[in-house]
Amino acid sequence: MTLAIILVVCAVVTLILILRITVSRSLQLSKSDDSSPKIEPIDIEAFRNLIDAAESEHLYHRLPSGEFRRVQRGRLRAAAAYIRVAGRNATALVTIGQTALAAADPRTTEAAHQLINNGLLLRRNATLALLRVYVAMAWPQASLAASPVLNSYEHLSRSAMLLGRLQNPAVPVRISVRP
Amino acid sequence: MLQAHSFLWNYLWVAPNLLLLLFGILLAKSDKSRKFKAFLAFAFLSVIWELLAYLADVIPSVSATTFWRVIWVGLLVESPLKFLVIGEVFSHLLDPYPAIARLGKNLLSGFGTILILVAAVVAAFAHPDSRFDIIFNAHVVQQTVFFVETGLIVFLFGFAAYFHLAWDRLSFGILLGLGISSCVHLATWAIIANTNPMERVRTVFAFVNMGAYHISVVTWFYYLLVPGRVAIRPGSPPPADILAVWNRELERLLHQ
Repeated sequence: MTLAIILVVCAVVTLILILRITVSRSLQLSKSDDSSPKIEPIDIEAFRNLIDAAESEHLYHRLPSGEFRRVQRGRLRAAAAYIRVAGRNATALVTIGQTALAAADPRTTEAAHQLINNGLLLRRNATLALLRVYVAMAWPQASLAASPVLNSYEHLSRSAMLLGRLQNPAVPVRISVRP
Repeated sequence: MLQAHSFLWNYLWVAPNLLLLLFGILLAKSDKSRKFKAFLAFAFLSVIWELLAYLADVIPSVSATTFWRVIWVGLLVESPLKFLVIGEVFSHLLDPYPAIARLGKNLLSGFGTILILVAAVVAAFAHPDSRFDIIFNAHVVQQTVFFVETGLIVFLFGFAAYFHLAWDRLSFGILLGLGISSCVHLATWAIIANTNPMERVRTVFAFVNMGAYHISVVTWFYYLLVPGRVAIRPGSPPPADILAVWNRELERLLHQ
């Protein structure tokens, strides 16, 4: 009897979830014109510093073990916040890329495909990096391999820039490289 | 009204299958037929099985054992086909996204394996009806199949939502219809397989299952015949404020 109740509850919850997804999908379609994805800024330098293995090593040797664990957990929490923002930015750019897929210009479509794939790679890397952060929080000595997130972020930046240029040359989507 | 062999009973058993047959013919004639081969096979074979089971139920000369054998054959044919349909839909979902296609397939395989193991454990705890093994085993197999099916459908919806993947209209409709049907069937078969309810209750559950299946077929029709709203404006550029923020980020990134 208990098993039946558990399965019935699972089935009802699943049905509600599926219907909710359907309703939210149709709502998104109906108001897609005025809903634009938001990009949140990330301090890349601070993020790079937080996931720097050499910096962690330095702290490990300089601080007493209890103090190191406390500091390292704080750094990991901050890194997790950055990774979550990077993941959200990736999702926003995937949405922008999907909008651009309907363009007639083949170069724009190609750039949109590139942006979507880079965005999805970043989203995937961000998820894996978050899992590693949570493991490292339980065991602060573990090395944190979050560099794929930074690399993906760089790829995504190039794709976003290319799509922006192709879609609207009037908007100054360019990088002012220092001489 | 909620009695076996009443008008409603006959309608709910036959009508959705005739509708599904019509759906299969329409889909086979459309340009989408190549894309949904597994679903076409499921539609036609499912109709044949359901109508055979219906005939076995209403023809007086057919014994109860023969009826349950028909049910078993249908189960063995239809269940793998439903999993093929889910795989087909997932494949269409991932096709435009090579960056996460491998991850998606690996996760689906892993999650499917876990679901099968859990379903086997759940089946082992089912409450046996010692009178008729052929019936009890069919109930447990139904519960197991719908458990795995429901789990896989939830995984697909969850995966698509997490990565914000765009569904093609018919794939979404097929999965939605399967999802509605599998949730309702899971709930009813779980009660039947684990509590041995009275005949009257079983009849009510049969109505519920047939009603859910009818809704699923109507859902498939809706997503095949009713065109979706165009959600995106071709070539619309990203909002300027987003590009400005992104521009700043790029500059900061490259000036490290």
